[in-house]
Amino acid sequence: MLTDFPDRFVQENPCRTLSLPALTTLDLNLQNGDPSPHLINILSSISSAPALGSVTFRHDKWSNINQPFQGPWIDVDRWLTRVAQRARVRGGLYVMLQWLPKGMPVWGGFLPDFRRAGGQVKTDV
Amino acid sequence: MNSLPQELIDATIDRLPRPSLLSSSLVAKRWRQRSQQRALERIKFLSKAQVNRWCTDFPQDPEGIISYVRVARFQEIFSWDDPALFGHVLKSLCSLTGLCVSWTKIPIELPGQISRGEIGKGITVLHLHYAFCTLATTMSIILSFPNLEVLYIPDSEDGSEGPLQSYPAASQRALLDSLKLWGNSGGIGKALAESGFMFRRLSLDVGLLGVEQLVTLSCETVMELELNGV
Repeated sequence: MLTDFPDRFVQENPCRTLSLPALTTLDLNLQNGDPSPHLINILSSISSAPALGSVTFRHDKWSNINQPFQGPWIDVDRWLTRVAQRARVRGGLYVMLQWLPKGMPVWGGFLPDFRRAGGQVKTDV
Repeated sequence: MNSLPQELIDATIDRLPRPSLLSSSLVAKRWRQRSQQRALERIKFLSKAQVNRWCTDFPQDPEGIISYVRVARFQEIFSWDDPALFGHVLKSLCSLTGLCVSWTKIPIELPGQISRGEIGKGITVLHLHYAFCTLATTMSIILSFPNLEVLYIPDSEDGSEGPLQSYPAASQRALLDSLKLWGNSGGIGKALAESGFMFRRLSLDVGLLGVEQLVTLSCETVMELELNGV
């Protein structure tokens, strides 16, 4: 199994490596603060999504995001970086953070590798 | 009034709230059809008594006003005195494109009636929310609708999932537009995956059985993917 995240990969129901050539939007509704190992598992199985233009994270407890940047968000950052580098959509891949408390700024250190790869982080407020 | 173009009358009726449609149907003959079409476009059956009244009070002429019904919702009908009644009503609704079954018993005879082409030929949207039947019956219904495009299963009854088993392949029409599978619907997810269904839009609770299989099967076709509870 090829994965970017061997340290965290959950091997209960291994997926084969997937190419999703038609995928344009990915919406992730978080429940418990951090992305779960199950999500990391599913993301890690997606090796290619060249048409992906937006990834939305919805979560009502954004203030609980670990700072400094660590934990499963590092795995998400790594996966987003890989997808952003291979994106073929005009304007590149962006991440949307929804349901942030009004006035809460997006922390500059959030998803650092993704930003360095040219990805954008937006909010809906 | 007579000089008004029909399009203008129709546009006016389309802007009326539903409670006004009975009154608008009585304004003039030219107001009647559009008002009736809008009033009957979506109907709800909230009890067995309402289903019985529908059969007795409405003329069961397939070219009459019942042909205006596009979406039917059966809600909280926990049992049927006559199991054939559900199929009979669906058969009469010949223009139906959407069917919602919520907290309602599905008679075991229904999949057979669908697969024989007696009912549901035009149904493209199926919404099952606590449909009381076995998993095998649920799967048979899904497999039987020849033109199904949208499948929405936010929850199923705890006891309805039954033992996992093999289901027939979904054949040529395996590609559907969208699937929403949330809550306690795990057995259905695995069964859909085993039947080989593929989708363009997927909205899934990640804790359900078969999620990885559904994504894998749809890898070439999926355009929008939503994962919940991750």
